[in-house]
Amino acid sequence: MITGYANNSRGVGVRSLQLILPSVVCSTHLSKKVAEEVGAITFSHQHGCAIIGPDVAGVNDFFVALAGHPNIHSTLVLGLGCETLQGNELTESIAVKFPETKYVVIQESAGMTGALELSVEAARQLRVDAPHAPLDHLVIGVEGNPEAGLLDGFADLVAKAGHTLVLSNDFKEPSRNFAKLIRERTHVIASFPDANQPPTGLPLIPVVTIANTQSLLHQALVDDFDCRSGTSAEHLFERLLAVANGEASKSEAKKIGEIVVPRMVRSV
Amino acid sequence: MSGSEPSLLTGYPRKNGRWGFRNYILILPLHNVLNQLAEEVRLNHPAQSVITSVAHDWSGEIDSDWDRIHRVFSGFAVNPNVGATIVIGVGSAAEEEIVEAARAKREMPIAYLTLRDSGGFDNLRQRLMESVSEVFPLVASIKRESAPWSAIVLGLECGGSDAYSGITANPALGVASDKFVELGGTSILAETMEILGAEHLLAARAKTPEVGQAIIDVVARYERSITYEGIDIRGAQPSRGNIEGGLTTLEEKSLGAAKKAGNAPFTGVLDYAYLPTEPGLYFMDTPGHDIEQLTGFAAADVNITVFTTGRGTPTGSAVIPTIKAATNTEMATALPDLIDLNAGTIADGTETLAEVGARIFNEIIEVANGKLTAAEKGGHREFNLSRLYGSTQ
Repeated sequence: MITGYANNSRGVGVRSLQLILPSVVCSTHLSKKVAEEVGAITFSHQHGCAIIGPDVAGVNDFFVALAGHPNIHSTLVLGLGCETLQGNELTESIAVKFPETKYVVIQESAGMTGALELSVEAARQLRVDAPHAPLDHLVIGVEGNPEAGLLDGFADLVAKAGHTLVLSNDFKEPSRNFAKLIRERTHVIASFPDANQPPTGLPLIPVVTIANTQSLLHQALVDDFDCRSGTSAEHLFERLLAVANGEASKSEAKKIGEIVVPRMVRSV
Repeated sequence: MSGSEPSLLTGYPRKNGRWGFRNYILILPLHNVLNQLAEEVRLNHPAQSVITSVAHDWSGEIDSDWDRIHRVFSGFAVNPNVGATIVIGVGSAAEEEIVEAARAKREMPIAYLTLRDSGGFDNLRQRLMESVSEVFPLVASIKRESAPWSAIVLGLECGGSDAYSGITANPALGVASDKFVELGGTSILAETMEILGAEHLLAARAKTPEVGQAIIDVVARYERSITYEGIDIRGAQPSRGNIEGGLTTLEEKSLGAAKKAGNAPFTGVLDYAYLPTEPGLYFMDTPGHDIEQLTGFAAADVNITVFTTGRGTPTGSAVIPTIKAATNTEMATALPDLIDLNAGTIADGTETLAEVGARIFNEIIEVANGKLTAAEKGGHREFNLSRLYGSTQ
């Protein structure tokens, strides 16, 4: 049994975080300032403008998933005002499902100083002390390519405990595989980075990393991983449950990892 | 103005003949897992005021955009406004290629520290702190000197355009650009989407028929690449923000945008993030995305930029001082901490185009000589890796 947090409309999560969501690259710097000020999470968003075709709906939908993730208790969307991905519409599409959402726009806030004040105030209004709540049904993500034996054993343990497993291994880079696991609302992730990739994490989902002992890179970084290949399915499962119950994973403690927004086509 | 007029510029001389108007220590992470670490060291090192850094979403993947990514990182690392660069990476052949390319582009201190060699994040952070301390006295020993007009490599940019852009800030910037080109400086117009519909007018100003054809070809290639995705660019632009600002068609936006380049003849056409080789006016093939353009400029030795804006935008570059010129007085008044100068006075009838052009010219000199821009004061360091293909292909 996991003790999580009742994050209102977003469901029961294993963390209770506030997300400052920059809808466009132009509001990313402000988002960082606000997040530091109020103790929230954010990320370096590179896009949101000059996007076309499938990326307009694609980036919007990804942000709705991000903003509505069960480990998040509330979301403050920060926009510039003239961008392609309009912050007010994005906010509406988030708020219709997840009401603990607000929006501040730089071009209507008398500039950066005004926008910072308004944003900090809005973030504080949204802030809640989410009460603990039991979490019977955990969604566990597996990123990368674990050894078949380990994965089979792990999948058995997850199924027996009544939890759900989601796999994501389309790319060699963990940060690109995470997008699917965010959309699938996974509470925790076990990441098996490619031999040439370092351990990484995510600001909103605790990531437990497993070193490939055949990799020279992973050998050099072994202290930054939570486990090593060759670990038993039982040990890995226990570790994930401990992290779901509040223990910090290595990447979480070191604040490692960036949210990468998937893109289908070039910018205009 | 004449080419013999004495220069009022000061800058930092670089060994490749370029001049810097800033003298940064750049921390350049080559993997998104190191974004946070780069920022932490920038904020915690005693030399904080001269350190700059960027964040991006690349995680070392080698795909169809590799040439472009390689060119951007290696060019950005040696921008003339940087005195020394510390590249931090995971430890891969791709990263080594980028570092080698940067070293070949300019003789300057370029350190390369890796997670692999450091044995983890904590040691890399420690090494990075030490590396900054080590290079700091060297960078601090480079002093400003009197610089020639040819030191100017001016980037012309507009973002959040409105109906005033084409009659106030853009033509006024054109006046300043023309003066610098006449004095022997370099000026670069960009944003291919924003000359679409006006390309024939620019081609007519080319120094040679080849350059004229290159302008036409770049626009055609751009439109093809968008049409390939099944999108009618003339339907997708102007953006909704532009329409709210009073623009009606892409051609109208383009005619206004092109005015940033004044009336000087075009010396050449540059691919994204390629360097101008001699002084003069250039066109660079970049996306209209403000930060992809600014990053492409930085990788092509641009050392100062004027960014005209109708709706108001706060962004800046980690290495290029970016001067914001407002197209209208209403916005300049409403968003004072985003704007460096107001060109809206032309529409108000209180100043002439020539007067505002002279004001922009002088502001460029002052900022080159050390005056901080609004974006610099705000700590803006936006950066973006431009891709011709998606990141999920």
